[in-house]
Amino acid sequence: MNLRLAGARFKNAPTAAALALAAAAMLVPANLLPVLTTETYGQSRSDTIFSGAVELWRQGLWPIALIVLTASMLIPVLKLVGLGLLLLGARRGASSDSRRLTRVYVALDFIGRWSMLDVFLAAFLAGLIRFGELSTVVPRSGIVAFASAVVLTVLATQAFDPRSLWRAAPSSSS
Amino acid sequence: MGLNAPLICHLCGQEHRAIRLEPGEKALCVRCDAVLAQGVRARSHTALVFAITGLALAWPAALLPFVSAGKFGAERISLLFTGVRILWNSGMRALAVLVLLCGGLLPLAYLVILAVLHAPTRLDRQKSCFRLLVRSANGLEHWAIPEVQVLAVLVAMIKLGSIVNVAIGSGFWCYCAMVFSLLIAQHTSRFNPTVPLSAAGATGAAVPL
Repeated sequence: MNLRLAGARFKNAPTAAALALAAAAMLVPANLLPVLTTETYGQSRSDTIFSGAVELWRQGLWPIALIVLTASMLIPVLKLVGLGLLLLGARRGASSDSRRLTRVYVALDFIGRWSMLDVFLAAFLAGLIRFGELSTVVPRSGIVAFASAVVLTVLATQAFDPRSLWRAAPSSSS
Repeated sequence: MGLNAPLICHLCGQEHRAIRLEPGEKALCVRCDAVLAQGVRARSHTALVFAITGLALAWPAALLPFVSAGKFGAERISLLFTGVRILWNSGMRALAVLVLLCGGLLPLAYLVILAVLHAPTRLDRQKSCFRLLVRSANGLEHWAIPEVQVLAVLVAMIKLGSIVNVAIGSGFWCYCAMVFSLLIAQHTSRFNPTVPLSAAGATGAAVPL
């Protein structure tokens, strides 16, 4: 009987590492380029992810600023660090850390989706705030880079096979 | 799938022998603690009911006003996919497709698959189309993320509150109800993605082989 799980043939560490590296590269323009430009009464203001969150904080909307910072800056970085740990763990094979690293994998798999928050936010604001010269929100290239980074981190997590953390580990028996 | 087939942990590959579970009981992998199978507490048709409810709510969510914003007498009504259209027209077509897929089409596809999998005339579980549907549901779980879109809209409305007058439309409430239905259908599904494909539909628990 073939006990290999569905999709396992698509999973391997080099693919995951390549996707994680590509995601890390895309995070640079994602954080340096403006994601949104707000035009009000002829005045234009462009914001990066970080400057947008800082502006929210200045306005007293610190819970929203924290949500944006967590979803758009902390989670992508945590995902890349976590993927790095997983890839190192997979190289080492089964160890006393395998159980902990498996939990890291489960956590990464869960939190990845929340990074899409800023992408949905930009799309929603661009669709709603279009009052001509009064006020208009225009999406900028930073949001494309950010969306690419998010998609790549999700693909990297999916490409990683968590069973590689347990390779050569003897099966438990009761 | 019966109790004779082994359950394989999708996280560590440990094989287990299946045993019957009581409702609410969970079978954990002895090696990595992953959930291998759950005793179904909800009735078998709960997932079907919520999947159909979600599908019914998807249409008003897409067609009714989502959110409206007003400033100095000017009012703008936004639908669920207005932002997608703006992104498309701005030349950000890949981004528009991504938002359309993750916030609209894939959740819809996920609901359709859940409804088909739990339909009274169940597919033969040994057939390849059944396995394909279960696999598709497991794959869609990562990309169908309407709950993130709901959070984004709430964040945006708080952010805009001091700049423009924002009013929630009935489309947004329908979308929220659709998301709720999707999450319940997913959680009560007999083909929950947290349970490996090889154990899909099993009512078994696990002891190591």
